[in-house]
Amino acid sequence: MMLKNQSLAANWLDRPLMRVIANCGVTALSVLLCVLIAPTRLPGMELAGIGPNWLLIWVVAWSVKRSVFQGAIAGLVLGLIQDGMTAYAPTHVFSLMAVGILTARLRKERYLREDFISIALITFAMAVIAETITAMQYTLESNRTLVEIWTYHQLIALASAVLSSLWAPIVYFPLNRWWQHLNTLEQ
Amino acid sequence: MFTLRRWWDRHRLQTILLGLSLGTALFLRQTNGAILYEIYRLLGIPFQPNQREAVLQNAQIEELQQRLTEMESQNQQLRELLGTVKNEQKQVAIAPLVGRSADHWWQHILLGKGSSAGVKTGYYVMSSGGLVGRIVSVTPHTSRVLLLSDPSSRVGVTVSRSRFMGYIRGQASNRAIMEFFDKVPDVRQGDVITTSALSHLYPAGLPVGRVESVNMNKSPAPEAVIELTAPVSFLEWGMIYPHAQPLSTEAEPNQTPNQ
Repeated sequence: MMLKNQSLAANWLDRPLMRVIANCGVTALSVLLCVLIAPTRLPGMELAGIGPNWLLIWVVAWSVKRSVFQGAIAGLVLGLIQDGMTAYAPTHVFSLMAVGILTARLRKERYLREDFISIALITFAMAVIAETITAMQYTLESNRTLVEIWTYHQLIALASAVLSSLWAPIVYFPLNRWWQHLNTLEQ
Repeated sequence: MFTLRRWWDRHRLQTILLGLSLGTALFLRQTNGAILYEIYRLLGIPFQPNQREAVLQNAQIEELQQRLTEMESQNQQLRELLGTVKNEQKQVAIAPLVGRSADHWWQHILLGKGSSAGVKTGYYVMSSGGLVGRIVSVTPHTSRVLLLSDPSSRVGVTVSRSRFMGYIRGQASNRAIMEFFDKVPDVRQGDVITTSALSHLYPAGLPVGRVESVNMNKSPAPEAVIELTAPVSFLEWGMIYPHAQPLSTEAEPNQTPNQ
């Protein structure tokens, strides 16, 4: 029965068009899930009222094994969506694009083995960078005092980095498995 | 032309997908993520919160105390003025809290009632305890509230006891900084702070919080740390009240100078 199911699934994914559709579906669905979980603060998932940055985790998961351009596009798309969900200025586009580009530039496989730790480390660094970019945008806008912005930045950057890095594998592993599966099918 | 054609053949799929995702993202941005919040609300219906009775009751007693202080003060003023009558605004809806800000830099909450319940942008939200914030965007079944504790929200307030005015700006938790307009305001710890008549975004006299500490030496104007009384961090319900848009009320005094 198992074997039959597997072969059915394989047959179903054999056609290139179906593969593309399935891939788009899974990718879009995962983005949607990340977007929908962003406004929640589930118990055990928050630190001082701050939750994981789910969209950032998704961008990291996407960009780890992709080109710089793809990383940047993912950052742009999710940045625009997050802008719509919060406020236009300062925009999330810059921070998420930077995350996409930097993660893709890292060429993880060259330095790090693939495990929980490496993904968590990358997410930690990227969360700090993303919040720093937002803080810099606030600084340029300057309708708050510098002290206010940067003390708040410390809190956000640390809490969001810790939580995002802890929850990153939840997004990364299923997605990575799926994309790897598709890749093997392509070849 | 040929190279273009070849490029198109090779990258057709990527280009279409790229266009689609960018288009969707732009659409979501322009509509303020209305669809996303609607889906979120729909999926969240089974997980709606239960009231925490004790907290709500405590907060309610505190609100009543504050209101009493405010009323006493107002009463005194009204007696001096004689004959001024203020209409109480009717509340539009009581809405459950369904979500919080999708980013940490903004202090937003998401309430589970929207334009289908008559909620509009610019309405203000109270909870047992005091003023919570102002509605900044509405979808058919959700509304997004900018909290008082957001650093970008600035509200004209007054010290209920001595009527000294100032404005508060949020401090990202349940604290806010009040800056006074006067050099030597009469304010002390524990004073009740309410919205002032100068505030266009909120009606006057709503309880906001109480003074936690005062710094008279602050330049250019004295500052006080205000503890917001609405229990924002574990808020579960919000009461939405109508309020006219600030721009329309601003124009009126010029047209009727004889009043």
